[in-house]
Amino acid sequence: MTPEAARKRSVWQVVILTTAFLIIVAVTGLSLLLTQQLREENKYVVRSFEIQREILKIQLEMRRAESSVRSFLLSGSTDALQKYEESIGEIPQILAELRGLSGADPGQLDAGNRLQTAIANQLIKFEDAIRIGKAAFAANPALARPDIPDEPTISQVREISTKLFDEETRDLQENIASADNTQRLVSRAAIAGALLVLLLAGFSAHLIRRSLRARDYAAAQLRHSNDDLEIAVAERTADLQEANHEIQRFAYIVSHDLRAPLVNIMGFTTELEQLHGTMVQRLGVLAGLEGKPDGAAPSLAEKDKQLATDFLEATGFIRSSVEKMDRLISAILRMTREGRREFTPEAVSLKELMESIVTTLAHQVSQADATVIIRDLPTIASDRLSLEQIFSNLLENALKYLKPDVPGLIEVRGGSRPGYVIIEVIDNGCGIALKDHQRIFDLFRRAGKQDKPGQGIGLAHARALVRKLGGALTVESQLDKGSTFTITLPTELPQIGPR
Amino acid sequence: MTSTAVEIVMIEDDEGHALLIERNIRRAGINNSITHCANGASALNYLLGADGAGTLHKGRALLVLLDLNLPDMMGYDVLELIKKHDVLRRMPVVILTTTSNSEEINRCYELGCNVYLTKPVNSDSFADAIRQIGLFFSVIQVPRIIT
Repeated sequence: MTPEAARKRSVWQVVILTTAFLIIVAVTGLSLLLTQQLREENKYVVRSFEIQREILKIQLEMRRAESSVRSFLLSGSTDALQKYEESIGEIPQILAELRGLSGADPGQLDAGNRLQTAIANQLIKFEDAIRIGKAAFAANPALARPDIPDEPTISQVREISTKLFDEETRDLQENIASADNTQRLVSRAAIAGALLVLLLAGFSAHLIRRSLRARDYAAAQLRHSNDDLEIAVAERTADLQEANHEIQRFAYIVSHDLRAPLVNIMGFTTELEQLHGTMVQRLGVLAGLEGKPDGAAPSLAEKDKQLATDFLEATGFIRSSVEKMDRLISAILRMTREGRREFTPEAVSLKELMESIVTTLAHQVSQADATVIIRDLPTIASDRLSLEQIFSNLLENALKYLKPDVPGLIEVRGGSRPGYVIIEVIDNGCGIALKDHQRIFDLFRRAGKQDKPGQGIGLAHARALVRKLGGALTVESQLDKGSTFTITLPTELPQIGPR
Repeated sequence: MTSTAVEIVMIEDDEGHALLIERNIRRAGINNSITHCANGASALNYLLGADGAGTLHKGRALLVLLDLNLPDMMGYDVLELIKKHDVLRRMPVVILTTTSNSEEINRCYELGCNVYLTKPVNSDSFADAIRQIGLFFSVIQVPRIIT
């Protein structure tokens, strides 16, 4: 990754981590806040219940007082008066509790005052009633009734309900305390959890940063060594190309200089043959034979005929050797001419190229009773003419060197890699022995059974071309087990140095 | 050539080639005189004369057969000198050489050669080709040298 991208990525990392951190803090803070609020609200709930309880207590005492007053007015009983005194004795305490629970709330304070005033008014009324009653009973003692003792059931009810009430109050206190505790634990757990998450996140972020930094470093190293490698390769390629050019110039000059004597040999061989014809005629004349009416050579004695035949046989051999030499020199010339030709790179669809070559070789394909399969092949930018020559050569070879009794199967397949393509030409023919794998690429050299025509030029030429295009040509084969020729070519024709 | 007065000047260093060429031209029925120069210097000397004026052959028609691979100089130097010479430049120059390199061919035509022929090597081609050339010569019109 480029330094620019690495920095951007760093910034993103920081942003994401900070956001995550803030979120965790916010969530924890919120949960703490809400827990706290819950506690407060619980307290309010409890207090409301307590206020309600005090109010009920006041109502109860007021009722009791009222009932006691009525009881006194009915019976003049001193018990009733006593109960009345007890009841109103409780009231100030309860009022004080109520005031304490209300706190500073002005509304509640106001209500409390009004309640107190109302109670006070009612108590005055009670006092008035009692005074009137007392006076009435003092004036007329016969009105008094005997005290009715309390039913034991009433006191039982009172006792049990009071006990239950107290128990509930105790339970309430315990529950409040326990709820408080739980809420405190929740807060602590939330804080602990948040801290743990933050810790782990920070740690993993650190680990990731470290491994990414290591990877970036390795990538930079690789880029560096790649650049160095490219420079070294470019230098070597330039050197090789220079050497290649020199060899080609040399080959070109040499083949021309070799041709001149060949002209002489061939020309004078023809002269010899013509002289031979003349000599045969002279021989015939000297031997006293006449020329045939149609101008053909006179018939000679057997020995002389033999001489004539031997002579022509000799010139025949000279002739065929010269022709062969000329073929070889032409082949070299052609190769060097190809080598000097400028490449014109263009986009070449290898599949189309192969198919057109196979069409051109249709006759050989049917003669060899072979099947040629062309798979999907990539497109490359290279010199079309060179590619045609290389692959025509390989396919012709594949068709030539099949096994006589096995129908030929030739497959061409290939694929892309970054920067270059690989094409394989696979056949099920007679194969090439391991010891001959280098030999087949040598100029004018062949291998295996010499039962097919050829000069031993094709593969040498193909390999030279492939090299010039910046690629490589190799073979994998075993005798009798077919061959696979692998061509590697760059996807883009490499820049060639000045000639 | 309408007149047997046309002289063929053959500039060829290889004796074998010279002989073969002469024989086969003769076989085509050409009876004109053939002058053989074995190197560039002697050829230029013969054509231009010692003073280089080229007046040596005033009034005569010359046809030059030139090989490019001469021992002492390049054939196209001879070509250039001929074609740049005031007096001799209209003389037909037929290049007959082993080279078939397109660069060479272009260069020779650029310098003004009249015809470029490649010596064939295979079988009877050489003899046939020279005979054809001879026949061809027999129908060429060659200008006279004027000063």
